[in-house]
Amino acid sequence: MPVRVRLPSAKSLPIRTRLTIWYLCVLGTVLLVFAAVTASVLYWQLSRQLTRFAIQDIETIEGLLFFDARGNLQQNEDYHNHAESRKILERLLEVISPDGTLLYRNWRLSTDRLGGAPFPAEGAGGYSPRTIHIRDGTPVLVVSRRHVMGGRPLIIRVGYRKDTVSAQIWQFLTASFTALPLALSLIAIFGFQVARRSLAPMVDMARLAEQITAENLDRRLPIANPGDEIGHLGRVINELLDRLDLAFAQLRRFTSDASHELRTPLAAIRSVGEVSLQGDRTSEQYRDTIGSMLEEVTRLTSLVENLLTISRADAGQIEPRFSVFSLRELVDEVVSLVEILAEEYEQKILVTGDSGTLVRGDRLLLRQALINVLHNATKYSPVGGKITIWTGVSGSDWATVRISDTGPGIAAEHRDKIFQRFYRVTEGRTRETGGSGLGLAIAQWSVLAQGGQITVENAGEGATFAIALPAYKS
Amino acid sequence: MRILVIEDERKLATAIKDGLESDDYSVAIAYTGEDGFYLLCKQAFDLAILDIMLPGRDGFEILASLREQGVKIPILLLTAKDTLEDRVRGLDTGADDYLVKPFAFPELLARVRALLRRGVVPAKLRSRLADLQIDILERSVKRGDSVIELTAKEFEILEYLFIHQGRVVSREMLARDVWKDTARQTPLDNVIDVHINHLRRKIDEPFKPKLLQTVRGLGFVLREDSR
Repeated sequence: MPVRVRLPSAKSLPIRTRLTIWYLCVLGTVLLVFAAVTASVLYWQLSRQLTRFAIQDIETIEGLLFFDARGNLQQNEDYHNHAESRKILERLLEVISPDGTLLYRNWRLSTDRLGGAPFPAEGAGGYSPRTIHIRDGTPVLVVSRRHVMGGRPLIIRVGYRKDTVSAQIWQFLTASFTALPLALSLIAIFGFQVARRSLAPMVDMARLAEQITAENLDRRLPIANPGDEIGHLGRVINELLDRLDLAFAQLRRFTSDASHELRTPLAAIRSVGEVSLQGDRTSEQYRDTIGSMLEEVTRLTSLVENLLTISRADAGQIEPRFSVFSLRELVDEVVSLVEILAEEYEQKILVTGDSGTLVRGDRLLLRQALINVLHNATKYSPVGGKITIWTGVSGSDWATVRISDTGPGIAAEHRDKIFQRFYRVTEGRTRETGGSGLGLAIAQWSVLAQGGQITVENAGEGATFAIALPAYKS
Repeated sequence: MRILVIEDERKLATAIKDGLESDDYSVAIAYTGEDGFYLLCKQAFDLAILDIMLPGRDGFEILASLREQGVKIPILLLTAKDTLEDRVRGLDTGADDYLVKPFAFPELLARVRALLRRGVVPAKLRSRLADLQIDILERSVKRGDSVIELTAKEFEILEYLFIHQGRVVSREMLARDVWKDTARQTPLDNVIDVHINHLRRKIDEPFKPKLLQTVRGLGFVLREDSR
């Protein structure tokens, strides 16, 4: 089966075809080499066997030769009446004198010769096996033996036609080459089936994967055998789909939440404007209307700014700028900024803990996170409540700020989601306390971006937010 | 003072023109960069307000060509893009100041005033409005005969309001100039409001007339009459 594999185009063939071609090439080569080696070994063994026959034969013939009454050399042919092997019947026999005179040749040799004049030491001390060609071109294995009979030195030559050996080899090779295409075809069919069947799950996976778009990300690839490589690939792709699905869901929710948040102030602007134009108003009333509209514009602007911050953060456009600074100083700074909001509600802010902690991070980002979390704490603590801030090193090397309020705390089911964009614990929160719903999301991003972590738990009365960054050790 | 506004968004251009004119500037508008460039080369202006996102040649190109032509008047860039690179690029190209859309109008006025003065005029050491007096050196405030105790922040706010006396000061301006905070955020707006309330309680509540007024949707203003 001649298969030509051109490498550049081979890459474009399906894997199952390529696998099959590879099987074929390898197995074909192996079979060819096997046949060649077997033929050589066979040839060598048959040749050796022939030589052995010839040697046995020549010793037998020594005993069968005799000079007849007229002094002519004869052979007792009767012996062959009970010949035990075909080989003996095929032998060619010639007896010459050392000077080359032909003394006897058997009928099978007829008028032919087994080589011409004897070469020096032919048949002396051994059998001098060699191959010659007789008149019709057939290669013949000839062995010689010196013999003395009735005081006369003789050289006995026995030859066997070697074409029988070649014929056997050819027979073997013919049989092999007849069987080879059959074997290769079987291998091709079988190999192709095996390859096709092992790759079938992948084909199924590909067919299904082609149909998965943003609209049906909930679909998963079928996994035939989770243990094998293809099953592994399928699992990996399914996990990838899980993550994509989640990301898409978040994005969809974010877009719809963002639209909703933008629509609320827009609706207010529109209504206020339309109502104001429905009748004549005093200039004082118009002033009030425009002011009210501008308030909503401010809200829209800050919402858009926050959305931009988040989208830039998502796009990785905000690179943290690291420096080493005192955690306590930053906390004090943030407290002095936000304190006045707490005072409005007669809340106390208490800062405790270690004041010498150094932290490596982005000061501006951390400041933003602290402001948002602290602002959140003042919003949820009751009038006269207390906000406790602890700074120091927790665990082995986390510089930590813990901000505990005396608010209602956050129920377990909300704790994971509280950092999500626009997530609100209670739907009915007024915008007065509600803010944009992005403060904690931005805080979380700010902390994560500099390799820190932010967590929330209920400890004691209210909620405790913990922001931890790698501590700086000089 | 003549100001050229180069802005393709007609509504915004007209609003800026009206706003500046009501502050007694004389204003011309160019709707394309090419027109603006031509006008600035042919006529004398004291200041130009240049939008970056213009059809055809954008604000950066116009700015660069103007500076190449030797036009030296102060130029205030307007843009919707609030990225540091844009800001740096604008100032590198030769802009004198930079304002991100949407901006508060008082802020634009303040920047224009600052650019035309070329730097902030040092506040007078002593100022008064009606019977409210501020002494920068002594850091003291009096209303009539009564001395008013202010916190450091309250004093800074009042000082800032005195500098911009009679004009609206937006929360953005206070955040930037008094709090030195570039990243403005909701909590800070609340903080500013509370400080203003405290300040008002001290300098206005027991007295007449009310001097520290809130202009709804805009900001605060220190003035005697209540227009």
